[in-house]
Amino acid sequence: MAETLHNLYIGFSVALSPNVLLYAFVGCVIGTLVGVLPGVGPLAGISLLLPASFGLDATSAIVLLAGIYYGAMYGGSTTSILMRIPGEAASVMTCIDGYEMTRKGRAGPALAIAAVGSYVAGTVSVVALMLLAPPLASFALRFGPPEYFALLLLGLLALAYMSGGSILKSLATATLGLLLGMIGIDPMTGFFRFSYGLVELGDGIGVVPVAVGLFGLSEILLTAGQPTAPEIRKPRLRELLPSREEWRDSFWPIGRGTVLGFLIGIIPGSAHIISSFVSYAVERRLSKHPERFGQGAIEGVAGPESANNAATSGAFVPMLALGVPSGPIPAVMIAAMMVHGISPGPLLIAQQPQLFWGFIASMYVGNVVLLILNLPLVGIFVNVLKVPYPLLYPAILMFCVLGVYAVNGSVVDVGIMTVMGALGYVLRKFDFETAPVVLGLILAPMMEMSFRQSLSMSSGSYGIFINRPIALVMLTVGLALLLLSVAPWLMKTLDWRQRFGLASGQEKEGM
Amino acid sequence: MREIYNPNALWLHRQIYFIVALLLLLILLFSLTTESSGQESYPNRPITIVAPFPPGGVADLTARPVAAAMEKVLKNPVVVVNKTGAAGAVGMSFVANSKADGYNLLMALSSISIIPEADKLFDRKPAYTMDQLIPIALISADPTIFVVNADRPWKNVKEFVEDAKKRPGEISYSSSGVYGTLHMAMEMLSHSAGVSLKHVPYAGAGPALTAILGGHVDTLASGPAVVIPHIKAGKLRPLAGWGAKRVAALPDVPTFKELGYDIEFYIWAGLFAPRGTPAAVMQKVRESVKQAVNTSEFKSAMEKLETPIAYLDAPDFEKFWQKDAKMLADAIKRIGKIEIPEAK
Repeated sequence: MAETLHNLYIGFSVALSPNVLLYAFVGCVIGTLVGVLPGVGPLAGISLLLPASFGLDATSAIVLLAGIYYGAMYGGSTTSILMRIPGEAASVMTCIDGYEMTRKGRAGPALAIAAVGSYVAGTVSVVALMLLAPPLASFALRFGPPEYFALLLLGLLALAYMSGGSILKSLATATLGLLLGMIGIDPMTGFFRFSYGLVELGDGIGVVPVAVGLFGLSEILLTAGQPTAPEIRKPRLRELLPSREEWRDSFWPIGRGTVLGFLIGIIPGSAHIISSFVSYAVERRLSKHPERFGQGAIEGVAGPESANNAATSGAFVPMLALGVPSGPIPAVMIAAMMVHGISPGPLLIAQQPQLFWGFIASMYVGNVVLLILNLPLVGIFVNVLKVPYPLLYPAILMFCVLGVYAVNGSVVDVGIMTVMGALGYVLRKFDFETAPVVLGLILAPMMEMSFRQSLSMSSGSYGIFINRPIALVMLTVGLALLLLSVAPWLMKTLDWRQRFGLASGQEKEGM
Repeated sequence: MREIYNPNALWLHRQIYFIVALLLLLILLFSLTTESSGQESYPNRPITIVAPFPPGGVADLTARPVAAAMEKVLKNPVVVVNKTGAAGAVGMSFVANSKADGYNLLMALSSISIIPEADKLFDRKPAYTMDQLIPIALISADPTIFVVNADRPWKNVKEFVEDAKKRPGEISYSSSGVYGTLHMAMEMLSHSAGVSLKHVPYAGAGPALTAILGGHVDTLASGPAVVIPHIKAGKLRPLAGWGAKRVAALPDVPTFKELGYDIEFYIWAGLFAPRGTPAAVMQKVRESVKQAVNTSEFKSAMEKLETPIAYLDAPDFEKFWQKDAKMLADAIKRIGKIEIPEAK
C-alpha cells in the first residue's frame, strides 16, 4: 500500500506539472467537443489528433489522447439529453430517458446527474485500475470466444428489458437490428454478404450512422412533422440543480453502473458499447417502478452514463497491464506509445513507472477538470433549447451530416444515416422503440463471430460452452435471468390468489 | 412587434442574401478555375497519401514518417488520410480509380496482392486490379515471426512439426482474418511442412495477439514489433522467422530457410500511384521518396517503431512485388474457398 502511495505521489508530480496538465486539459476540452458533436466519436477525434501527438513527449501524448476518450463520454450525454441525438454510439440509451426529462423541464438535473455520475464512475474505476490492473488483466485474458459469446448472449437478454411497450414490438426491431448486422464480410470465409457491389459496405453498416439517423434524424423529422411545436418546458434558473429525491434515486444506479461498466470494459473486444445498454436493462429490472423508464426516470440516465465512463477506464486495463488492445481506441493509443519508442507489454508498468502513474494521476485530474467544465456549462447548454426550431434543427442536421461524414470520409455513411432516419421516422410513428435496432446491430456480427470461432476451436463440438467455467457461469446466469422474467407469467396462471391477491392489486382473480 | 414587420428590414435582408450568394458563387467559380491550372510544376498542391487501414496500424504508422520526411524534401504539404474498410479494399480502390496526377498516393501492405485474387476466387467484380497501380518504392519489409504460447511444449520447429503430424487439425493458430497476411504466412508453412493446422480467424492483428496470450490458440504468425515485448516477458516463445535473414532484435531465432523450409513472407509497406501518372511526376515522387528515407528524422522514427527500413526503388520494387504477388496468388488458389465442414 505504501508503495502504491509512493508511486501515486510520483504520478501526481508528473501529472500536475504544467506541461502534462495543459495537455490533459486540452484533451478533455477536445473530448467534450467531440462527444457533443453528433456522429464524431472519440475514435475519430483521437485519429485526427494522433499525428499532432507525435511531436510531444510520451506522457503528454498519452494523456492528451486519453483525455479525448473519456472526455467524449462526458460530452456525449449532452446532445443525447437535450435533443435526443446520440453524441456517439455509447450515449444511445441516455437519449431515451434523458430527453423525456428535458421535455418535463428537468434538462438541468439530467445533465448534472450525468456529469456527476460520469465523475464518480471515472474516479472509482481509475482507483480500481490503479490497484488491480495486472490481476484484472490476466483475468480478462481468459475471456476467449466462448466466454465472449456468453457475454453477448447476456447482452441480448438485455434487449427484453429495454422498452416498456409491447415486447413483440421491441423484439421485432431487435430482429431488424440483428439482420442489419449481418451485412458485411463474413469473417470466417471471406464472402461479402448483402453488400450489393458497394465496397464500402464490406465492413457492414456502421453503428454511428445508424444511431445518429435512427435517433437524430428521425427526431428532426418527427418534430418538423408536427403541426405545433412540441411541448418543452423551458427550465428556470433554480430548476437547474437536481432535487434531493433525484440525488437519492441516482445513488445506486451510479454505483451499479460503475461496477458493471468497468467489468465489461476490461474484457478485450468491442463490448464497451453494450455497457450502457446492459446498465439500462439492469436498472429497469431492479427498479421498483419500471414503468417510469421511458418517461423520464433519472436512473435511466445515471446508470448508462456511469457505465460508459467506467468502461472507458476498464478498457485501459488490458492496454496498460499487458499491452493488448481491447478495442480500436486502445489500439490507437498503443500505436502512439510505439511511435514514441515505448513498447507496451507486460513490463510496461515496471519499466515506465512515470508513464503509468502519470497517466493514472492525470485521469484523476482529468475527471475533476471535466466535472468543473461540465457543471457550469449545464446552464449554457440548457439555453440552446431557447433557440427557435427553424434555426436550431437545420443547424443540428448540418452537424449530423458533417459528423457522420467526418468519421470515415465516406458518403455511403451519410446515405445510410438518411435511410435510417427515414426508417426511424416510420418506426416511431408506429410506436416502435428504436434502441433495440442499435443493440442488435452491434451484437449480431460479434455474436456470430465468437460463436463460429468457438466451434472452430472445438472442431465442431458444442460442449466447449459448457466445459469452460467462465462461459458456463455466464450462461447459467443468463438462463436464470430468463427464467426469472418468465416466472411472474408462470405464477399468474396458477391459482395463488390467497398469497398474492393482496400484494399486487392489478392481478386479476385466478382462472 | 413593429420592428419585425418593418417592410424596409425585409428588403435589407434580401439585399444581404443576394450579396452573400454572389460572393459564394464567385468563390466557387474561382476555386474551380484554379483547379485546372495546376500544370506548371508538380507539386503545387498538398499531396495525399492514403492509408487504407485504421490509424495505429502498420500502414498508418509507416505512412506518417514518410509523409513528414517527404514534406521537408518537397517543401510542400504531404498529408496522410485514412480510408478504411473491407480489409483495405476501400482505400486501395479509391486510389486505383482516382485521377493519375500524382496527388493521390497509396501506402499499401502486402494485402494489395491478396484482395484482387480473393475477388477472383469468389467471382466478385474486383474492387481494383493490380494493373491499375504502379509501384513507387518499398519502404519497409518486416519478416513475420512464428511464435507459440510459452505454456506449450514445443521448443523448436522440429518438435512442432512432429507433433502437428501426429495430431492433424488439432494445433490451432489465430490470424487477422481469412486471406489476411497472417493467414497466408501460416498457410505457406503448413503446405511446406506438410501439416494440417486449425485456423481460428479474428478481426485483426490485435485480437489475434490477445487470443494467443490468453491461451485460446496455440500459435501465431505475427510482425515482430508487436510480439517482441511479450517474448521478452516470457509469455510467447519464438520458434522461427519467415525472412531471408534473422531478425536483428531476435538473433537466436532461426529462419525457416535455414531449417530447410523454402518459404519467405514479409509484411511489407510500399508506396503506389495510379497507373497513367505522367513519367515526370513519377520521377519527382521517386526522387523525393529516395531522399526522404535517407533523412535522419525518418531513420530515427522507424527505429522507435522497431521497424527496419528496407528501401527499394521502383524497378526493384516492381520485381519484388511481382514475385510476392505470384507467391500469394498460388497460396490463395491452394486454399481455395473455405468449405464449411460438416457438423459432427
